[in-house]
Amino acid sequence: MKKGKITMIFTVAIAFFALACVMSMQFKLVNETDITSIENLREEELQEQLASWKQKYEEAQNQYKEVKDKIQEYADKKTSDIETSALVKTELEEANLLLGKTDVEGEGIEIVINENKDDDFVRIKDSDLLSIVNSLKYAGAEAISINEERILPMTDIVDIQYSFIKINGQRILAPYVIKAIGNKSHLESSLLGNGGYAERLKNIGHQVTITQKDNVLVKKYNGDITTKYIQEDENN
Amino acid sequence: MNKTKISIVLGLMCVALTFGICLQIRTVENSNVKVAQTYEENNLRAEVLKYKEKYDNIYQNITQEEKKLEEERKKATQNNSVLEEQEAQINNANKLIGLAEVKGPGVIVTLQDSKKSSDKVLNLNDIIVHDGDVLSVINELKNAGAEAISINDQRIVSTTAISCDGNVISINKEKVGSPFVIKAIGLPESLAALDRPGGYLEYLKKYDIGVSLEKSNDITIPKYSGKLEIKYGHTVESQE
Repeated sequence: MKKGKITMIFTVAIAFFALACVMSMQFKLVNETDITSIENLREEELQEQLASWKQKYEEAQNQYKEVKDKIQEYADKKTSDIETSALVKTELEEANLLLGKTDVEGEGIEIVINENKDDDFVRIKDSDLLSIVNSLKYAGAEAISINEERILPMTDIVDIQYSFIKINGQRILAPYVIKAIGNKSHLESSLLGNGGYAERLKNIGHQVTITQKDNVLVKKYNGDITTKYIQEDENN
Repeated sequence: MNKTKISIVLGLMCVALTFGICLQIRTVENSNVKVAQTYEENNLRAEVLKYKEKYDNIYQNITQEEKKLEEERKKATQNNSVLEEQEAQINNANKLIGLAEVKGPGVIVTLQDSKKSSDKVLNLNDIIVHDGDVLSVINELKNAGAEAISINDQRIVSTTAISCDGNVISINKEKVGSPFVIKAIGLPESLAALDRPGGYLEYLKKYDIGVSLEKSNDITIPKYSGKLEIKYGHTVESQE
């Protein structure tokens, strides 16, 4: 009987040891499997990636051509001041349009938010406006303003003392009127539906109206856009 | 008495063994998929890499050509002071909208998912960096006067959206994962105020998110890799 017991314990110990070995190997293997590396992608994922790289490549090709054309134009017209000035003017206008220094008009949406007045707790916060702007950008908005304050690349939206909101350092007050230019149905749907930010605001008692428009006017930024810390290139 | 003990031990072992075998079989199944890459998938993989390389090449070319364009523009405008002034404005605007690489002093903020093991927290969401966190940090940087910002080399431009994309975050519709290295150019002292008590970084630290902030005098922020395009809007004269 005693001998039997020792054998039994011995067997059990070996079995446990083997089990522990297998399990630790297992965990190591699972840990090492990198799901993002290209070797482990499945067919559908690969197809998706291929499509996205193809698209990027084509876009880059177009961009390359455009830059080339512009260089050619400058080279052709460099002797004539009048023609050069027309070229420079177009480029400058385009840059200013992208920067937000011009009034922009086009298809888009207008959102009006009236705050829930019964409950002080649920006032519109900086993060609400920030999220709306972010959703609009995701849906491809080309120009956005809140209460006529233009959203620039470096525009901040902050709460001051939990009582009002500042955009570009300017105080803005309710009701908030957000204008965005872009594909109007894309812009609208980015805020609606489950998880859409307009829906969330409605759920806590705010009034949100979204109107699709064929002609939205987004005003330019009125201040000066200056930089102090971006350095000039050494080679210039 | 002894018999019961032995049966219990054996029983436990059987359970553990079954568990182990199940896990094993599942992984083997998975790794079979990995090992037996079909012919078609290999082709696709090669195709993806080919296009990626093609894109990288043409992207480099674009960068070169843009430099050339700048030179050409400079040459064309150098004889006329009005045009020269406009040329400078274009170059400056390109830096502001993100179409040119910029350098300057500033800070580097790094956010990293918590190293805490996921079974030690109640809510898994507490230990990872979310899109909203990045958005808030970016907003605070802008508030502190940042002039140019990038996240893992994705330049923040006027159309940049930061959104959740499963395990990763999508910025400029590109996937970006933890650690998030946020570079900002501006007055370093003022940007470093992000670290203040009650600021967003402190809030993240509470959740054990890896946060570091470092001032630097030499920060390079790359240009936006995509194309800024206005399709729906057009400039109108101000009515004032």
